[in-house]
Amino acid sequence: MRRVILMFAAAVAAVASTASAQLPGLRKYTPADHARQQPQAAPVLQGIDAERAEFAAQAGGTTVYFGIGSAILGAPAKTVLTAQAAWIRRHPDVVVRVEGYGDTGDTRDHAVAMAAQRANVARDYLLLMGVPAAQVSAASFGKERAGLGRAVTILVR
Amino acid sequence: MKRLILPLLLLGTAAQAQPAPPTVIAIPPLTSPDSGTLGNQMLAVGWDATQVIADDLAQTSELSPLKPNRDDYYAYPEVTAPTFSKYRAAGAKALVMGFVQSRPDGRLTFGCYVYDVEKGRELARKGFVLTQGEWRRAAHKCAGIAYTALTGSPGVFDTRIAYVAETGSGEARVRRIAVMDSDGQNHHLITDGKSIVLTPRLSPHGHELAYVTFAEGQPNVRIVDLASSKERPLLPGGAITFAPRYSPDGSKIVFSMTNGDNTDVYVVDAAGGQPRRLTTSPAVDTDPSFSPDGSRIVFESDRSGSQQLYLMNADGSGQKRISFGNAAYAAPDWSPDGQWIAFTQRGPASRRVGVIKPDGTGESVLSSGPADDGATWAASSRALLFQHNDTSGRPTLYRVPLDGSRPEPVKIPQGGSDPDWSGAMD
Repeated sequence: MRRVILMFAAAVAAVASTASAQLPGLRKYTPADHARQQPQAAPVLQGIDAERAEFAAQAGGTTVYFGIGSAILGAPAKTVLTAQAAWIRRHPDVVVRVEGYGDTGDTRDHAVAMAAQRANVARDYLLLMGVPAAQVSAASFGKERAGLGRAVTILVR
Repeated sequence: MKRLILPLLLLGTAAQAQPAPPTVIAIPPLTSPDSGTLGNQMLAVGWDATQVIADDLAQTSELSPLKPNRDDYYAYPEVTAPTFSKYRAAGAKALVMGFVQSRPDGRLTFGCYVYDVEKGRELARKGFVLTQGEWRRAAHKCAGIAYTALTGSPGVFDTRIAYVAETGSGEARVRRIAVMDSDGQNHHLITDGKSIVLTPRLSPHGHELAYVTFAEGQPNVRIVDLASSKERPLLPGGAITFAPRYSPDGSKIVFSMTNGDNTDVYVVDAAGGQPRRLTTSPAVDTDPSFSPDGSRIVFESDRSGSQQLYLMNADGSGQKRISFGNAAYAAPDWSPDGQWIAFTQRGPASRRVGVIKPDGTGESVLSSGPADDGATWAASSRALLFQHNDTSGRPTLYRVPLDGSRPEPVKIPQGGSDPDWSGAMD
C-alpha cells in the first residue's frame, strides 16, 4: 500500500516537473535534489568534476531507487543503468563505484546486507550491459547515510 | 544460600500486567572500626560507597532502597548484629550493612553484609581488599551481592557498557565507539570519529571489543584490545564483514560476511584464522548470537520473504525457524540465563524491542517504538538495554526491565546507539 502511494507521488512529481522525468524513481524530488542533479553552469568544471557532471547529464542521473525491502531493479532503474553503462563504455579510462544504501526503517545489520545487495545488483547490471568488471566496484553503506534506499554510481577516476 | 521469596511475575503471560511492588531495602551509612582522623577518612569513603550502593539498587525494578541518611550511624560491632527492629519499623524488608577499614599497606578492607530484616538473619556476606581508588568497584560488587541474595540473579553493577556515542546530525553526524562502567563512570572514547562505526561488542570479561568500521570504505569487523588500544582486522582482506558477537567463553566470534548478493553467518577463532561458513541460504542471514552454553546460535534470516528468527546448532546444522508472529523479527540476542531471546520487531511503521523464548513461545514486546533497535541483555537476564530515538529523532539509550515496567533513559553524555552490556567483570 505504502509503495503504491510513493509511486503515485512520484508520478505526480513527474507530471509537475519535467526535470523529475530524468530520474524516474519511487519518491518525490525536492528542490535540493533537483539542484544536485543539475550540472553547474558556472564556474566551468574541470577534471573529474567536469566528467562527473557529464556522466550525470548523459546517463540521465547517477542514482537508481529501490522499493522498500527490495533489491530488484525496476524498469526506470534499468533505463538509467543502461545509459550509465553506455557512457562508461565510451570512457574506458574511468573507474566507477556503485554505493548501495539501505532503508532507514530497517534494522542496523540487515540494512548493511540489503545495501550491499543493491550495490551488487546495480553493478551486475552494468556488467550485463557490457561494462568491463575492472571498471566498476560495489560498496555498502548500510542505512548510515540519509535518504531512501538507492544505489549511486560514483565516478572515482 | 537463603533467599527472600519475592513475588516475581511469570514472564510472557504477565509482562503486560502491573509489575510486582519492589522490596524495600535499608542502606544505612557504612561504618568503620578505625578511629580518629583515619576513622573519619574511612567513614567519608563509606558514605560515598553507601550512596553508590543505593543508586545501583534504585535502578532495579525489584528493589527500592530507603534514602541513606548520614545521621543513621551504627557502631562497628553492629555490622554482624544489626538492630533489626529499627529497620523493621522503617518499613524495610532487607538491609545492607558494611564497613571500610584501612590497612597498614595503605589499601582498604571493604566488608559487605546482607540481611533479611523480617526473619532477622544473614543472607550473604563478602569482604574485599582493594586500593583506595577502587572503592567504587567494591560498592558496585556489594550492590551486586545484595541483588543476588534478594533476587537469585547475577548483579549487573560491576559491568561495562559499550555503545556508539553520537554527536551532531546530518552531514555533521559524528560517531565514536565508547565504553563506560554501567553507572556511567569511567567514560572512554575508543575511536576518533573520522569513520562511521557500528555495533561494538565486548568480549565476555570486557577486555576486548569487536566493532564495525567503514574506515576502508566497506563495513569491516575490527578487534581492539581495550588495555593496549591495539587493533587488528577480524579477517585479512577487504570482505564486507559485520554483526560480530563473541561466544560465551570468548574463544570464537560469529559474524556475517557478504559475497556478491549473498550474506551468510560465519564463525572464526577470536584469535584469527580461517572462517567457517554456517549458513548457505541465498537470503540475508545475519545477527548471530550464541546460547550461554555455546551449543546453539540464534540468527536472523529473510529466507522466508521477511526477517525471522532461526536457531541452529553451533556447527550450522539443524536450522529451524522460531518466530511466526504477524511482523518481521530481527537482531536477536540470547539472554545470559538461556531463557529468553531479545529481538527487534519490525511492523509496518514501527520498530520495537521484545523477548521470546527459544522454543518460540512467550513473545512479549517491551518498548513502544517508533525506531527502537539493538536490544542487549543485562547480566541479570532481567533487563534489556536498547536504542530508542527521542522525539527529535536523536538516538539515545534506554533500559527496560522484563517485568512490564516502563523503559527509562540511561545517562550518557550525548546521543547513543548500538549498546552492548557486558557480564560481570573479573
